[in-house]
Amino acid sequence: MAWYVGCDVGGTFTDFFAFDDASGRCCVHKTPSTPDNPGAAILQGLRDLCEAQAIAPGSIARLAHGTTVATNALIQRRGTPVALITTEGFRDLLEIGRQIRPKLYDLKADYPQPLAPRHQRFEISERIGAKGQVIKPLDDAAIDAVVAQIVEADVKAVAVCLLFAFVNPEHENRIGVALRKAVPGVDVSLSSDVQPEFREYERFSTTVLNAYLQPLVSRYMTFLQDELSTLAPDAKLGINQSSGGLMSADRACVYPIRTALSGPAAGVVGAGHIGRAAGRPDVVTLDMGGTSADVCLIRNGEASVNFDQSIAEFPIRLPMVDVHTVGAGGGSIAWFDRDGLLKVGPASAGADPGPACYGMGGTEPTVSDANLVLGRLSEDGLLGGSMGLDKVAATNALRPLADQLGYTVERTAHGVLGIVVANMVRAIRVISIERGHDPRRFALMPLGGAGPLHAVDVARALGVGQVIVPAAPGILCAQGLVVSDLKENFVASARTLVADDAVAEMAGRVEGLAKDAAAWFADEGVEPDARRLDLVIDMRYVGQNFELGVAVDQVEGAERALHLPDVARMKKLFFEAHEQSYGFHNPDDPVEVVNFRLTARGRLRKPDEAPAGEVSEGGDPTPVGRRLVYFDADNADDTPLYDRAALRAGDAIAGPAIIGQLDTTTVVHPGDLATVDIQLNLIIEIAP
Amino acid sequence: MSTSPTLDSITLEILFNALRSVTDETYIALMRSAYSTNIKERRDHSTAICDVRGGLIVQAENSLPIHLASMIGLMKCLLLKYPLNEIEDGDLFIANDPHVAGGTHLPDVNMAMPVFSEGEIIAFVCNIAHHADIGGMAPGSMAGGMSEIYQEGLRIPVLKLFRKGELQQDLLDLILLNVRLPEERRGDYYAQIASCRLGARRLAEITGTYGNDVVRVAFKDIVVRTERRMRAAIATIPDGEYIFEDVMDDDGLGAIDIPIKLRIEKAGDQIHFDFTGTSPQVLGNINLTDNATQASVCYSLKALVDPDIPNNQGVLDVCKITTEKGTLLDCVAPATVAARANTCQRVADIIIGALADALPDAAVGASNGANVTAVFSGIDPNTGVGYLYLETLGGGFGGRNDRDGTDGVQVHITNTSNLPVEAIEMEYPLLVESYGFVEDSGGAGEFRGGMGLRRVISTVGHTCDFNGAGERFRNQPWGIFGGAPGASGHFQHVAVEGAAVQLEIKPAGIRVGPGEKIVVETPGAGGYGKPSKRDPQHVEEDRRSEKFSAAYLAEYYGGGD
Repeated sequence: MAWYVGCDVGGTFTDFFAFDDASGRCCVHKTPSTPDNPGAAILQGLRDLCEAQAIAPGSIARLAHGTTVATNALIQRRGTPVALITTEGFRDLLEIGRQIRPKLYDLKADYPQPLAPRHQRFEISERIGAKGQVIKPLDDAAIDAVVAQIVEADVKAVAVCLLFAFVNPEHENRIGVALRKAVPGVDVSLSSDVQPEFREYERFSTTVLNAYLQPLVSRYMTFLQDELSTLAPDAKLGINQSSGGLMSADRACVYPIRTALSGPAAGVVGAGHIGRAAGRPDVVTLDMGGTSADVCLIRNGEASVNFDQSIAEFPIRLPMVDVHTVGAGGGSIAWFDRDGLLKVGPASAGADPGPACYGMGGTEPTVSDANLVLGRLSEDGLLGGSMGLDKVAATNALRPLADQLGYTVERTAHGVLGIVVANMVRAIRVISIERGHDPRRFALMPLGGAGPLHAVDVARALGVGQVIVPAAPGILCAQGLVVSDLKENFVASARTLVADDAVAEMAGRVEGLAKDAAAWFADEGVEPDARRLDLVIDMRYVGQNFELGVAVDQVEGAERALHLPDVARMKKLFFEAHEQSYGFHNPDDPVEVVNFRLTARGRLRKPDEAPAGEVSEGGDPTPVGRRLVYFDADNADDTPLYDRAALRAGDAIAGPAIIGQLDTTTVVHPGDLATVDIQLNLIIEIAP
Repeated sequence: MSTSPTLDSITLEILFNALRSVTDETYIALMRSAYSTNIKERRDHSTAICDVRGGLIVQAENSLPIHLASMIGLMKCLLLKYPLNEIEDGDLFIANDPHVAGGTHLPDVNMAMPVFSEGEIIAFVCNIAHHADIGGMAPGSMAGGMSEIYQEGLRIPVLKLFRKGELQQDLLDLILLNVRLPEERRGDYYAQIASCRLGARRLAEITGTYGNDVVRVAFKDIVVRTERRMRAAIATIPDGEYIFEDVMDDDGLGAIDIPIKLRIEKAGDQIHFDFTGTSPQVLGNINLTDNATQASVCYSLKALVDPDIPNNQGVLDVCKITTEKGTLLDCVAPATVAARANTCQRVADIIIGALADALPDAAVGASNGANVTAVFSGIDPNTGVGYLYLETLGGGFGGRNDRDGTDGVQVHITNTSNLPVEAIEMEYPLLVESYGFVEDSGGAGEFRGGMGLRRVISTVGHTCDFNGAGERFRNQPWGIFGGAPGASGHFQHVAVEGAAVQLEIKPAGIRVGPGEKIVVETPGAGGYGKPSKRDPQHVEEDRRSEKFSAAYLAEYYGGGD
């Protein structure tokens, strides 16, 4: 008997999802978060979970953890001051960035100052060229001098960022060795190690962020690992990466920047798992909370990954789940812009004072107030919850808008929801249509407290035919962690023309990556039949400056070696990708490779994909009440209310209907049909 | 305009949102599918939707102000040449000429495509991209030293590149024959065409949902509401007359210290920019067409009074502008215009300078005031193939009322990215020897001006041609409210033995031998407020960061022990 536990640390609660691979039993647990030391809640929660569910701590085989330590440190700027060592002549490169302003017309808007201030940026005489050739050698004396500067600077973290280190890392390696010897307590990040890819500013920025997080994250991981080894000595700790997939705590200490989106990535993995189990491997997630909504596109059960994102306004060039955030949440405030257009968000009433209907002093009209006025939310608050909602306060908050528009409060509230839906639709268009995917081929999966309130409206606006509301949206992240694989990304940056005479060279690169992956599998103890390799090649037309990642091979288990397709096939796959993304391709133009990327996955034990619910006989559940709900701007329907917890697989509910549960409320519009599937997901078919 | 909005503000917001999605999507599609670094990395392109009268309705969030002028200009010329009844579904227009086709300089190639719905034209989707070459005397089509636009490159009047969906291959052949690196250019033209078609498809989806009438009303309402908002913002400027003048360094052909004069009359919600008295147009390539002047005025006013206002015809219509034909800010054929961005930058400085006393919290010191351009071209010795590398460099941003100016950044009407050093060296036979700030270049002040940039580039194994265009190389960017001026910029040619030769402000045809260097230094920016009021902690940071020498700090802030 072995237990696998997923643990996701959120702002309010730390969630656990545990699964026993012998009995197939699953259980969940929640404990209040401890923001000052998130590890404390994890350990306490784990103890409580074991006690409540009679789990022997020694039988826990793995703890998979989604962490916000790195994210919060970036947002709150709580990392460690970093010293930078860089190529002579390029001390300011990190500060110049791309020489652009964040907002064209705003004379006051700036990007943040770099995390390595100028007086802690040191140049070293050396130079590598574009082909990896040494243009100016690196002297030991120069290394000694820069090490002395680092000692003098008295910092806890150093980033070593040299030009073309992604082609030839030798100079960075020598500086790294010298630093580790001279100042053993100082964390060192090398750009050729953190992300060996071209475009120096993004690589340097990523490396500096890694260094910035290293002392803090290492301390946290070490604490957690030490405590865990006492509490649950057989539990291997796995840390979720921003691209989805676990890494060891040791690797998280070396590459803390890879955890920058650890939490959201877990949720997306969980959503992919649920979609797959429901027979819909292609879904768009809509995770709407109090202040914002995160959207992500999942194809074939796997989240889209993007290499160019920013966190806390710093660019990070690393694979991360392509989560796009828009300021649209339950607390988003409705307001009139100077041209008289009604806007919703991005300003939010947050949790304090919260929407007017919370009765905690908020007076500004929010999305939650609009939902309450329209009867979509209940005055009793969430089902089983202790907090009622104040409809009078909500109405009062919306009235000034209504007066200005000359509308009823209900019509105004309906307009507020229309605008917040349009904002979410726009965000989904960015991750679907703008990336060449037609959202109508996807199901929409709403998550978070507010997602299921708006999902049907969003789906209809996008032409999406089906909405899937998971049984327990609140613990999706923890659930995602339990089903996560171990994962590692390998990259070789090498510009090569796709031509017959380069096949041997390209095959050599792929072989090199495969060797690295094999070593990693061995290190992590992944059995041959649990291994999976995905080879993606970044290609572009010669002369283009932006690459498309093209999947060219996938190997499951030990069936065969990784295989680089022939030139004709590589080009064909690239043309298809170009056609899909941009609507055209030129079959005669030369194509080149920029990067070879290999993703290695080690499959861990996971729950079967069909834990059965009880199939309902009648399939026609009984409402627990009725109330007037506005689905259009002017007319309310007498609408039945259902308790989600009482629904059984096979139940069918024709809209209009409101379905309440502990952590969310689902709105089913007139004409739509909601059914409960075997995993207790609500499947809403949207009437065309 | 007296018409009232006729769509409710909720429906309009939702529809407006959908239109913004179209321009943003076409912007990204053009960026990602284009070939040249200029579009791809530097994002020197824009997309928009115009109504059937040529009025700008929506543009992509990252569109450049100067491109706005070209789109409006193109639409005006297009509709003069082709009445709506001569435009058919599947037509696609192309143009670039500043004098007859509404452009602002030749490398910016405009495209526009009608969108048909229910059998009638409902709108045009437009885009514009700066091509790395459009022919003419010098590689890159941006070089100075020419006196007629014919020398600057191929002039394209408004033409139908597609008729009813059919590519006019003869025209494309003609265009490609006249530009350098035609294969690379062809990819950029295709990217623009694909972006137009995508926009037309998306807009048709919107008219399919809302119907033509609603969409037409929305177009009108968007403009009306923006105009009202802009007027309300203008009303916050104290009434009065504001006068300012400045000079351009030179035109590269002998004219120096070329004056630009401005008198602003502001009363109620009306504002009038009168540039009477500005220099006649010059031989060199810094002339503006009237629409480029209009774009610069609108940029400056919006930035000063309401940066978040949507960019559309409503903003353009509000500003009354007077220029005299045949002058620097309203040139006529055959004036050269390639480096017009430098003059646009100066117009922005002048407007901000003029309104500084009226809007002291919004005004900033003079910024680098330039669009310093460096173009390297030659034959790559490794491949035998020609190459062309064009870059525009940022510099200092002016000191502000509550913080220092940004160091090394694109200012005002331009916001193009730099090209990564690693991209330059992988792509071209050049070596970037250094890239950083110029010491002491940010003018002192309570809030100092931003620093200029220095980039040193040497050639590898061959001789290349260098062309450049600088501004504020002899007239420093001024400070405001007692702030000191920023440093001016310069170009140098450094021989292998190390002897540096100062180049002209707008050098052309400089032969750079193997291992020789070109040094580009861009201007800093002026400070805001008296240096004596600078917080000692900020002075200490200036010292510690080594951005300023001890001598400079002693001169402006005293002490200096």
